[in-house]
Amino acid sequence: MARSVWKGPFVELQLLKKAEEAQDKGARAPIKTWSRRSTILPQFVGLTFNVYNGQKFIPVSVNEDMVGHKLGEFSPTRNFPGHAGDKKGKR
Amino acid sequence: MARIAGVNLPTNKRVIVALTYIHGIGPTTAKKIADKLGIDHSRRVQDLSDAEVLQIRETIDADYTVEGDLRRDTAMNIKRLMDLACYRGLRHRKGLPVRGQRTHTNARTRKGKAKPIAGKKK
Repeated sequence: MARSVWKGPFVELQLLKKAEEAQDKGARAPIKTWSRRSTILPQFVGLTFNVYNGQKFIPVSVNEDMVGHKLGEFSPTRNFPGHAGDKKGKR
Repeated sequence: MARIAGVNLPTNKRVIVALTYIHGIGPTTAKKIADKLGIDHSRRVQDLSDAEVLQIRETIDADYTVEGDLRRDTAMNIKRLMDLACYRGLRHRKGLPVRGQRTHTNARTRKGKAKPIAGKKK
């Protein structure tokens, strides 16, 4: 079920603070975060987040199409290397 | 014979049924259109007057996205997800279920017909 509109989008407060700081300073250093559940807000556009996927941090550079999605959607938690003996489809 | 929204020409069926032959119009929308124009649900397409056909055509043009436009919208939405490289986009790319269904078994609608696994015998 979708989230109630009156609550507004959910963002981890700590992350929001860091992102706004980075946006103000124009800092290009990626923001390391574990908060996969945070919504990407319009003011995040242009920033880079390193989003933890349970193993490592995946760099996600936010563009305006991503607004409204969650950070976790861009940091896959599973890696499916293909079936054994599969000739094609290896990545 | 009535021609509405491009190629659709269903004939001696009831209007509310015939309208569902248009991609993007189901039973609910068809009923809404009929009610709005005061066309009885038991009326059939062949005994519609030209004016009524025109009214239906105008209503659909004005209020609904159908056929080619709708298909394009859907394709664009999927393409957006795929270009974005988000989880849902990746699932579309791989032709797997997008909304978290299991893939251990089933999921045949998305995956297509089961492919035999070479060298696996009972």
